[in-house]
Amino acid sequence: MSKQSTVHFHRMKDMPSTHLLGTGTPMCAGCGGLETLHTLYDILGDKTVFVNAAGCMTLLSVYPFTPFRGGWLYTAMASAPAGAQGVRDAVDILLQKKKLSADENVEVVVITGDGAAYGMGMSATSGAMDRNLDFIYLCYDNEGYGNTGQQYSAATPHAAITSTSKGSHGYPGYKKDLFSIWAAHSPAYVATVIAAEPLDLAKKVEKLQSMTGPRMLISLAPCPPGWDYDAQLSVEIGRLAVQTGVWPLKEFIDGEVRHTKVPKQRKPVEDYLQLQGRFRHLFAPRRDATGIAEIQARVDDYWALAATK
Amino acid sequence: MFRIRFHGRGGQGMKTASRILGSAFFMAGYEVQDAPRYGAERRGAPIFAYVRAARSTINERGIINHPDLVVVADDTLVGMPAAGVTQGMDENTLLLINSHESAQTWGQRLNTRARILILAAQEEVEDRAELPYIGSRCAAAAAALTRVISREFLIAALNEELAHLNDEVIKGNRDIALVVFDEMATQADLVNEGVQASASDYVRPKWIDLPFERAEISNIAIHAAATSVKVRTGLWRTMRPVINYDKCSGCSWICSTYCPDGAINVRDDGYPEIDYEHCKGCLICVAQCPPHAIESIAEQVARGQENGATP
Amino acid sequence: MTRKLLTGNSAAAWGARLAQVDYIPAFPITPQTEIIENLAAWIDRGEMPARLVTLESEHSMITAAGSAASSGVRAFTATSSQGLLYGMEMIYTVAGWRTPFVMVNVSRGLASPITLESDHNDIMAARDSGFLQIHCATCQEIADSILIAYRLAEHTQVRMPAIVNLDGFYLSFTREPVDLADASKARAFVGEYDPENLQFRGNSPLSQAMAVLGGGPYSYFRYEMHLALQHALSVYDEVVDEFAEIFGRRYDMIDCYQMEDAEYVFVMVGSFSTKARDAIDSLRAAGRKIGLLRPRLFRPFPQAQVRQLLQGRRAVAVVDQNISMGMGGVLHSEFATALYGASDAPLLASYIGGLGGRNISQQEFFAIADELQQASEREVAPPPRLLYTEEELTEMRKLQAIAQAEHAEIHQH
Repeated sequence: MSKQSTVHFHRMKDMPSTHLLGTGTPMCAGCGGLETLHTLYDILGDKTVFVNAAGCMTLLSVYPFTPFRGGWLYTAMASAPAGAQGVRDAVDILLQKKKLSADENVEVVVITGDGAAYGMGMSATSGAMDRNLDFIYLCYDNEGYGNTGQQYSAATPHAAITSTSKGSHGYPGYKKDLFSIWAAHSPAYVATVIAAEPLDLAKKVEKLQSMTGPRMLISLAPCPPGWDYDAQLSVEIGRLAVQTGVWPLKEFIDGEVRHTKVPKQRKPVEDYLQLQGRFRHLFAPRRDATGIAEIQARVDDYWALAATK
Repeated sequence: MFRIRFHGRGGQGMKTASRILGSAFFMAGYEVQDAPRYGAERRGAPIFAYVRAARSTINERGIINHPDLVVVADDTLVGMPAAGVTQGMDENTLLLINSHESAQTWGQRLNTRARILILAAQEEVEDRAELPYIGSRCAAAAAALTRVISREFLIAALNEELAHLNDEVIKGNRDIALVVFDEMATQADLVNEGVQASASDYVRPKWIDLPFERAEISNIAIHAAATSVKVRTGLWRTMRPVINYDKCSGCSWICSTYCPDGAINVRDDGYPEIDYEHCKGCLICVAQCPPHAIESIAEQVARGQENGATP
Repeated sequence: MTRKLLTGNSAAAWGARLAQVDYIPAFPITPQTEIIENLAAWIDRGEMPARLVTLESEHSMITAAGSAASSGVRAFTATSSQGLLYGMEMIYTVAGWRTPFVMVNVSRGLASPITLESDHNDIMAARDSGFLQIHCATCQEIADSILIAYRLAEHTQVRMPAIVNLDGFYLSFTREPVDLADASKARAFVGEYDPENLQFRGNSPLSQAMAVLGGGPYSYFRYEMHLALQHALSVYDEVVDEFAEIFGRRYDMIDCYQMEDAEYVFVMVGSFSTKARDAIDSLRAAGRKIGLLRPRLFRPFPQAQVRQLLQGRRAVAVVDQNISMGMGGVLHSEFATALYGASDAPLLASYIGGLGGRNISQQEFFAIADELQQASEREVAPPPRLLYTEEELTEMRKLQAIAQAEHAEIHQH
């Protein structure tokens, strides 16, 4: 596949204003994951085969309806990267044999939720990176097993109430650092993104298009039902995740991690937390100052460490 | 056997309504089944739940195809084929609609043999997804219309099914449910228990031998692009974003980019346009528009305006 | 045509090579590993124009094989036992993709306890998946069956994946003379893979393997897979006729030995069936009218043919190298189904033998033949039996004594 490196996305005005992904999907109103996917699709275009793992986006296509204009293959929760391997290898073989023209080439894109990416699908993802598979991977991370009603996953943040952590202190564990785990494989590209920062997202998608090898994206995906907030706040909450430093926007290239958007004056984490029902217990019936301070301290520690690098 | 269906939108508490009624029947000594229709439940999307109750063991299972009572929490669903409100209704069916309009108006509007009753809609609520106490009100109305559930059992069932809520909310539900119960208890038109299917007089299923078809046809595959646009997710919407073009700066990318569904496209003149067939009404565009040029109005108000009449 | 000594695994690798496969997702597991090692070596030496990729699990390997075949290339893979079970989610899943590829399964008993030796519980677990299944008894049959399996799987009226099964150790690591098909004849026989309209490519929309809502569409898609497999019965006959014409070897869906006048019948699949052939020769020499019926094609199951071949016989012993816990031998159930209601159906006896590679001796076959004859005289089938001797239990007791298993008594003889 010919890789281009032209830069189109300088300003928000450059964002696509017509959209490729079909409307009418069963994703929830205000879905932060769908917001990322439609931007990604607008930029990548329809010469793509999306290989889907089990998650909320299983339901993107329900026979006979599909939002895709190119290819889409549903696999299983654990093995979407292996599905991508088969498609990529097959297309390469057919190109080599001249059974497909260069024009018929496709970019292979895995889409999984955090349940698959952080857990069940991790070995398949690791394996695909080991094999230097030429593919794009999008994890829409809504920090829980969303499609089954938001049980906690390895991506769930500390203190979040989920349907399997309903106690007064929420989820006792801490969100796994998938970015670092992926970066430890030294793939071509790893980045965190969020739909609430579309220009950052678009620039990263554009950048990875010019590369070959594993190109990995984790998109924090604000989730109205799973995080318990009014759908219209999806973008606001996403933006606050960045502004409070809870969701650092960064990329890994050639062994280096670089932050692509460093909040000048980080807002307090509670600005982010208090908009979400899953953290309500930190604020009512009485304020859990210790709990909030602990979350703040972890974010502060992250950025203090980042500043030393 | 009583066969009762509750129709509403995701978030309106139809599952809870079915459980309240189920528990009340159970306390009254009935054998009971209650269940939500399991599927991709999304907030605002049409959903339903159902209850069966009988004096003897219930062997019937699954969706109720011939309901004795249909309770509709949100009257915007009644005319929506995808919601399936009127499915299987016949002259034995009682249709109870939570509405501001009269039974007569609905009777003229619907081509149905079902008897229609109105559960008088409460104070005006803009966002139908947030109708207060609607689950409890529907359950209470259904309980009263069966005439076999006492006030006491209804109260006990409400307490049991709402136990996870705080006392104030439970009391609010209970109070309003009892008002509805008392109101419906004076209704003359009641739910009739449906009968079992007759084995001597029935319509034979038109079985066929499934023809063998090549994989080119019978594979689970879609050979067309973006067929999802045929799904009208605009029906989920309870609040509608409306662009005020006098205020719109035509920046064109903010609402269009942030709309998760890609339901806002930019017209040739550079201004955005909302695709109401598919807009789910999340209102992110309303929240994000820099010049505040997008307002939200209640969907039923917007439809009324479209139809040139107030609802 | 060249005749040479090959292990079952080498024969399998040759089958894939002669079938001109493009793509081999792989994962090692005993006793299958030698297949992918052979293929990898040929590819590395430039003798075979294919691509081999080692995945990180069988689950991924089967996914990659399915997605590659769905993208238009001829794919081959191989596994065994625990690996087949680990990939089982995808075995069922890719069958629903209507994606034709061939997988070799080298049968090995399942954990627990762990064993490396052969029986058929692994392959029986894939019975209801939608994969076509061909069971081999010799190394020759392995190489040939892979060619036949591609023709069958890729046939436009079938389009389902196929498993070619062979027994671990007894075939996988055992060398036998094999006539290797001439490469150009093999190429002509297998032909080009035509993915029809089920192929991902730029410029054409194709979404595959999505969810359905409701039991109606689900029933349609599932039953069409069943109909495709049933259709494969007639396609199989065409394919093996053509194979016989070109290569001179016949592979009927049911292999019959001494069946013409047989009053008694052994039913077996796999390599142990050749032991039964020997036993039949001895029994025939002693004047017993006995034969062997061996289904090569196990899915689709040739029910009508089984029924026709067994009607009018006195008694049949189904020797299962597998066990369905709480039910018994799987083949026995299938044969009982095929024979149910037949007016002159034979008595049907069930024997479980050869679990975990345990030998079935000639004397055991003779004894089974005796039991069949007695059953026929009494007109009642004997109760199901595990082939297991007193000596074996004595040995087991010794092991239990060392393991300090409570209440184990050592019986001295």
